[in-house]
Amino acid sequence: MKALPLSEPVLLVLLSLSDRPRHGYSILKDVEQISRGRVVLSTGTLYGALHRLLAQAWIERYGQGDGSRDSRAYRLTSRGRQNLQWEIARMKDLARLASLRLAHKEA
Amino acid sequence: MLRMYRGLLQLYPAAYRREFMEEMLRVFEQAQKDLVGLPFTARAAFYVREIAGLLAGAAHQHLATILEVDFCPVRSRDMKPQYRFPRSTVGLMLVILAGVLLAIEQAKGIQVKYAPGGHVSAVWSTLPQFATWVLALVCLAGFAGWAILFALGRSGVQRLSNLSTEVVAEIKR
Repeated sequence: MKALPLSEPVLLVLLSLSDRPRHGYSILKDVEQISRGRVVLSTGTLYGALHRLLAQAWIERYGQGDGSRDSRAYRLTSRGRQNLQWEIARMKDLARLASLRLAHKEA
Repeated sequence: MLRMYRGLLQLYPAAYRREFMEEMLRVFEQAQKDLVGLPFTARAAFYVREIAGLLAGAAHQHLATILEVDFCPVRSRDMKPQYRFPRSTVGLMLVILAGVLLAIEQAKGIQVKYAPGGHVSAVWSTLPQFATWVLALVCLAGFAGWAILFALGRSGVQRLSNLSTEVVAEIKR
């Protein structure tokens, strides 16, 4: 199957959830941190991405024991993790190819 | 500001609001607290980003519901080159428009020269308005055509057509 690249907000949200479940605000701050301040998501963009990822079953809600909507956290599903791994592999492959091409050009 | 944010959230479809509204308000409140001590430009950028994000998000959710097409899919777009609206087309259209206007200007001089009595009723004053309408209609028609082709591309019609071609080629072999 030909896997298309993930959109940047989606990739960053998935990366943010890859180490542990997070709440919306925590994802917002983490995305800013892992992109070194380059990507600052608005709440509208963040929840748009979360909505799509929930629909695709790449993430799921986590820790709603008290039933409060404020305490909602999100975590990666196995499907989401697999897609993230594919994306990382694709990027690695592309980077390797680019390095080879550049090295060939410089030689 | 929170009241305005809450008001903008009303633009989202009801189902989306039920699911995310309280949570989004909470996150916005928390993010707003981080603005304390930041310069005016940083605070302004935050509010502009939030408002733009909400407007775009609400429009996207409504379009996705009505047209059943996700304009911001999880993966990047897979548009076939033949379905892409080249940016150069806009430049080309402007060049053509400039050419048409120049031709009209030239024709105006000829008309005055050969008109009986040297009098011609002026259409020039209404031309910019007319040209703007025509341009807007052409752009609208172009966008509608592009949207249809995009929807067809996304629905897999193109892939099915490619698949059937491959199957025919396989059978011929």
